[in-house]
Amino acid sequence: MKKTGFWLIYLLLLVAQLLLSTYANFTPYVMVTLLPVMVLCIPIRVGTTLAMLIAFASGLAVDALSEGILGLNALALVPVAFARFGIIRLIFGGELFAREEDFSVHRSGFWKVAIAVVLSTALFLLVYIWADGAGTRPLLFNALRFAGSLAASTALSFLAIDPLAPDSRK
Amino acid sequence: MRSRKVLPRLISIAIFILLEVASLQLLSSNADLQRLWINKSIHGFMGTVWGSTQRVQNFFRLGATNKELAQENAQLLKELMTAREALRQARTDTMRSGVVRDTGFVIIPAEVVKMSRNTQHNYLILNRGYEDGIQEKSGIITRNGVVGMIDAVSAHHAYAFSFQNADISISARLGQEGGTGLLVWDGKTSRGAILKEIPLQYKYNPGDTVFTSGHSLLFPPDIPLGVAGNSRIINGATNEIEVNLFQDFSAIRYVSVVHNTAFDEIEEFVP
Repeated sequence: MKKTGFWLIYLLLLVAQLLLSTYANFTPYVMVTLLPVMVLCIPIRVGTTLAMLIAFASGLAVDALSEGILGLNALALVPVAFARFGIIRLIFGGELFAREEDFSVHRSGFWKVAIAVVLSTALFLLVYIWADGAGTRPLLFNALRFAGSLAASTALSFLAIDPLAPDSRK
Repeated sequence: MRSRKVLPRLISIAIFILLEVASLQLLSSNADLQRLWINKSIHGFMGTVWGSTQRVQNFFRLGATNKELAQENAQLLKELMTAREALRQARTDTMRSGVVRDTGFVIIPAEVVKMSRNTQHNYLILNRGYEDGIQEKSGIITRNGVVGMIDAVSAHHAYAFSFQNADISISARLGQEGGTGLLVWDGKTSRGAILKEIPLQYKYNPGDTVFTSGHSLLFPPDIPLGVAGNSRIINGATNEIEVNLFQDFSAIRYVSVVHNTAFDEIEEFVP
């Protein structure tokens, strides 16, 4: 798939995230997000600095256009972009960087991709729930919210991986 | 090659921090709860940072602080001696109770600049001399007991015999009302001393405190010196008691020089 194809899908998923943030608020224990997996799947050619700027802009867009607090998604998403190369190197090894090849479920295996998605989503949720609670929520509530949100977001992220992953774009 | 990798990493870190700070700023300006939380976190962080720097500053000010404490210690010692004197007078002279005499001792704080501990005739040198008011025939004390006595004085320094000196003995009393004898260094250990010539009729228990007697012109009375231990009878006439001194001679740095203002006057009576 051409580079423009990825960014088009990225924009569409951003719109999907806007709808999720606005309408998918069924319980305070679960918040659904696609943003971490979207940032994780940004092509390897895009460096960390640019990825962080994209993440910041994406987070701000979701914050501004949905019912969130301005800056909250941006605050949580920038660390995912910052840690993106580290997560990819840790899970998939350094070969991807040498070949400048993006990971996919088909090439890298389901479990490796699953671990990468869980890690990036967990990082996002840790910062998001911590900042959203602002020290006023009890630990148990935050822990339950984290677990519920991680499960829901990871499951939904696998639907997004398919259009974002390079192999499936062919 | 390495610097080519390091620079982009540093730039990434800088941009990461910048974006996070911008996000926090946005968060802070758009939500009251988050603003309070961020302010609280910032204040906590600043408190920790300033607390740490203050601790470092305090560490480098230890010398000055020690000097201040030495001054304060000398002042407190003087007040303690005044109080003791008042108490002693109240006990012994009910007719004159309420009239508090001066203790008769001048107290000057000083710092030990040199000290020997490994011979039988140990000495110490203080950083105060006659220009600071130090006189010969003065005692040296700390809150833990007697340290020595001044033997010679120059303009800015004083030479003193340490208590850990075979030639030095001080008048000491066993308990508040017990017998008086001579306290000398045992010549072997850092904290060991022997209280000699205690008449047998004075009973005591191991653990009793030994004080300066006040019979010496050099030291004020009632300074705690150490704790009595085992004893033995000498020639069937007196007790010789082991004393474990409070003063740790290996840790002496700040001392107080005490001089009896009536020393010369009293000396005139002694033939």
